[in-house]
Amino acid sequence: MIVKKISIENYLCYCGIKDFELSDGLNIILGENGEGKTKFFEALDWLFNGNDDGLELLVSAKALEETEVGKSLRVQVSIVVEQYEEKKIITKSFLVKKLKANECSISNYMLEGTEENKSGERVQIDGKNLLDRIFPFQIRKYSMFKGEAELDIFKSDGALTNLINLFSDAKHYDKYSEKGILLREKAERAVEDSTKNDKKNESLYKKLESDIKIAENDKYKLTVHLDSTDEEIRKLEGKLQAAESHVKNADALETINKRIKNIEDRISDLNGKIDENYTTSLFDENWIAVNFETIHHEFAEKISLFSIEKRKQQSEFDKQKGIKEGERKAKAELLNNSIPLPIGVPSKAHMEEMIKDQLCKVCNRPAKKDSEPYNFMMERLKEYLTSQTHDEEETNDNPLYKNDYTNRLVNLSVSQEDNLKNLRGVRTRIKDLFKFNDARKKDIEQLNTELDGEKAERDKILGNSSIAEEKLVDVLKNYNAWQGDLKQRNHEQLDYNSKMKIVLAELKAKKEEKDTIDLKSANKFLIKTRAILRDIETIFKDTKEMKFDEFIEKLQGKSNSFFGKINIESFRGTIVFTKRIKGDKSIVDIELQEDGRTFYKPNQSLLTSMHISILFAISELASETKEENFPMIFDAPTSSFGENKTAEFLNLIYETENQKILLIKDFLSTDKKTKTLTIKKEFEHVKRNKAFWVKLERPFDPNNLKTINTQVITL
Amino acid sequence: MENLFDKWKTKIPKYSEAHKDLFNSLSQKFGAEGEKKINFGKHFSTNYELYMYAFFLGLYNEEFSPIPDTEKKTDFSHHIQHWGSKTTTLERKDFTNLQENIFLAVVAKTNVDFIALEKGEIKEDDVVKTLIQTMESYTNGGLILIKEKIDENPNYFLQSTSFLNMILDSKLGKKKQEEDVE
Repeated sequence: MIVKKISIENYLCYCGIKDFELSDGLNIILGENGEGKTKFFEALDWLFNGNDDGLELLVSAKALEETEVGKSLRVQVSIVVEQYEEKKIITKSFLVKKLKANECSISNYMLEGTEENKSGERVQIDGKNLLDRIFPFQIRKYSMFKGEAELDIFKSDGALTNLINLFSDAKHYDKYSEKGILLREKAERAVEDSTKNDKKNESLYKKLESDIKIAENDKYKLTVHLDSTDEEIRKLEGKLQAAESHVKNADALETINKRIKNIEDRISDLNGKIDENYTTSLFDENWIAVNFETIHHEFAEKISLFSIEKRKQQSEFDKQKGIKEGERKAKAELLNNSIPLPIGVPSKAHMEEMIKDQLCKVCNRPAKKDSEPYNFMMERLKEYLTSQTHDEEETNDNPLYKNDYTNRLVNLSVSQEDNLKNLRGVRTRIKDLFKFNDARKKDIEQLNTELDGEKAERDKILGNSSIAEEKLVDVLKNYNAWQGDLKQRNHEQLDYNSKMKIVLAELKAKKEEKDTIDLKSANKFLIKTRAILRDIETIFKDTKEMKFDEFIEKLQGKSNSFFGKINIESFRGTIVFTKRIKGDKSIVDIELQEDGRTFYKPNQSLLTSMHISILFAISELASETKEENFPMIFDAPTSSFGENKTAEFLNLIYETENQKILLIKDFLSTDKKTKTLTIKKEFEHVKRNKAFWVKLERPFDPNNLKTINTQVITL
Repeated sequence: MENLFDKWKTKIPKYSEAHKDLFNSLSQKFGAEGEKKINFGKHFSTNYELYMYAFFLGLYNEEFSPIPDTEKKTDFSHHIQHWGSKTTTLERKDFTNLQENIFLAVVAKTNVDFIALEKGEIKEDDVVKTLIQTMESYTNGGLILIKEKIDENPNYFLQSTSFLNMILDSKLGKKKQEEDVE
C-alpha cells in the first residue's frame, strides 16, 4: 500500500484544506517545534485509530472563528492510497455548527471508504472495513511511531514474539502443533486405558502415573524458579553495569572484580573439598563397622566351633554306621583320631596338582607315588569325587544332618575376613580426614582475609567516582549488596539447574518404565499408533521452532545490517536476539552486546538507531511475507542524533524500499535579527523523494489560537 | 544350600514406639532436601540409617535391651535387603556389606544351636525370629543411649561429628583404642 495523498481540513492548526502529495519513497516533513509536525502525525493517528471522543477539541480555532454564527464547517482527514493498482480513499470527518461566538455543536461523525477500480468507477464502501483490509491493524501498530521512546516497542515481554508469530512462517504450524498435541494425548490415553485392563501391573502403573505427575509438577516449579532467577540475574547485571559507569577507574574495578571472583571461587572450591558428611560416611565408607573386628572374631570362633562339632559328630556317625563308605573313610583317618577337614579342602584342582607333583604343598613334604602321604591324598580326592556323584544308596539312608547352614556361614566369615583389613584403617582415615578438613578451613580463613582486603580496595575505587558524595554512599552500599545478590542468584541458578537435571532424568526413567509396562500390557496396534503420533507431534513442534528461529536469525541479520549502516564509523556493538522459554511461552529478548557482553548503558542515539534498525528489518521482512509494502511514519525519531547523523540516517533510509514519512525539526535555522526561519543549505544534500515544510503563517499571536494556521510548502 | 542370611534379610525389624520421636527428628523419611540440606551429614537421610546406627551403637556399648512387652512395636516397612541405595548409586553406596556385618553380629550374639538346626530339630523360622529379636534389642539399647544424650543436651547432635564420636567413644571403641596404643 502506498499513500498517495494526505488531506487535512480544519484540523487544529491546519485551517482550510492542506494537501500533502506524497512520493512512494522517502518523504521528509520539516518543521520547527510547535508549527504542525506533531499535529500532522496526530491527524493520521486519529484517522487510523481514533474515535469520536472529544471531537470539539480537534476543530481549528481559526476556522471556527472565521465561520459565521449559524453556519457549519467540516473537519476532515483523508488519505488516498494505491494498492494493487487500485485507488482507495479513506476519510474521517465530522460537521461543526457554530452556535455562538465560542460555542459549537458536533454532528455527522463518520469514516467513509471509497474504492476506485481501474476504469475509474467509484464505489462507496464501509470505511473501517476498507482500512483494516488495506492497512491491517497489526501492521499499523508497527508502522507509526511518535518520538524516540515509542520506538522501543519490544519492552513488554510478548511484543516481539507476537510480531514474529505474525510475520514468520511459524504461525502456519500453530494449528498443526496444537492438533499434534491433541492426537498424541488421545493416543496416550488409549494406550493407558488398554494397559489398565491388565490388572497385573495395576498398582505399579498407578504409582508410576502419580510419580510422573509429581515429577512434572516439580519440573514446572523449577522452571518458574529458574525463570525468575534468570530475570533477577539479568536485572542485577544491568544495575551493576549502570553503577560501574559512575566509576572513574573502570578498568581497575574490573580487575579487582575479577580478583574477588577468583578468591570466591577458590573459597567455594575449598568448601567443596571439605567433606564433613561424617554421618553419611558412617554408612557409605563403612566407618560404622570401625569396632567390628572383635565381633567378627566372636562370630568366626562360634561358627568354627560349630563346624568342628558338626564334623566330629558326622565322623562318629559314619563310623558307627560301619558301612563301606565309612570304612573307606576310616582308612583316611587322621593321626590321633583328629577331626578331618571338610570334604573338598584343599580343592580338587589343588589335590590333583599335588598328586601330579608328588608333593604335599600344605606341609611342603614329598609324597612319592605309593607312599603313605601319596595314598592319603588319593583317598581324599576319591572321597571328594564320590561326594559329588549322587549315590542312591546313600540318599536312601537317613543322614545325620537334614540341612547345611554352617557351610554358608563359614563362607561369610571368610569373605568378611578380607574386609577386616579394610576396617583396621578406618580410624586412621578418619584422623586424616579431620586433619585435611582443618587444613582446608585454615586456607579458607586466609582467603577470607584476602577477600576482605580486596573488597576494601574495591570500595576505594568505587569511592573515586563521578557522582555526588551522598549519592555515592547509596551506590556503594547497593553495589556491594548487588554483588552479593548476584553471587547468591548465580548459586541458586546452578542449584536449580542441577535439580532440574535430576527431575528430568527421573521423569525420563519413570516414563520409560511406564512405556515398558505398556509394551507388555497394551494392544500392539495402539502402541504403534502412539509411537507414530508422538513422532508427528515432535515434527510439528520442531518445525514450528525452526521457522521461528529462522525468522529471528533473519531479523537479527537484517537489523544489524541497518544498524551498521546507520552507525557507520562509530561504535555500535551487535544487536542480539535471544530466545528463551518462560513457562510454556517463547520470549525473545533484544540486547546490545559488545564482545558477547551485554551493553547495559547505551546512549540514547545508539538505542534509537538500534530500535529503528529493528523496525526497518521488521518492515522489510513484513514486505517479504505479505508481498506488499506498507508505509512507515515517524514523528521526531532522531531527536538525539544531531544534524550530521540525521543526514546520514536519512540518506540511508532513502535507499530502503518502503514508503516513509518522516517528521523532523532539523535543517531549519532562525535568523537572530529578523527572526525569519529558513532551510539550511545542508538539506540540499539530503537524499529524498519529496520534502515539505510545515510552517505557521506569520504573523501570529502565540497566545491566541485563533491566529494559528499551518502552511504546507512543498519543497 | 540353606542360607540364613538370605532369609534374615527379607525381614523387617521393629522398634519401640517410645522412640518414634527420635526417628521423626533425626531422620528424613524421603532423604534430606532443600534447607535441610544444610544439616546434611549431621542427621540421617533415611529411617533405616538411624536404625542401623542405633544397632551398632547398642552393640558396641553392649547395651542389650529387649523392647519391654509393655511398649508397642512399630516399623518403617522397609525390608533389610532394601536398606542402602541400590538404584541411585550415584550419590550413595550400597549397604550389602553393612547388612552382612549386622547379620554376623546378630549371629555372634544369639544363642542358636546350629547342630540342632541342621539336624532339623528346630525350625529355621524360629532361628530367624530370635536373630531379629537380638537385632531389635541392641537397636533399642542404642536408641536409649541416643535419647539420653539428647535429654542431657538437646543441641548435642547439631555438631557434624556427634554421631561419629559416639561410635568412636563406645565401650568397644575405647577398648580398641587402648589395644592400639599398647
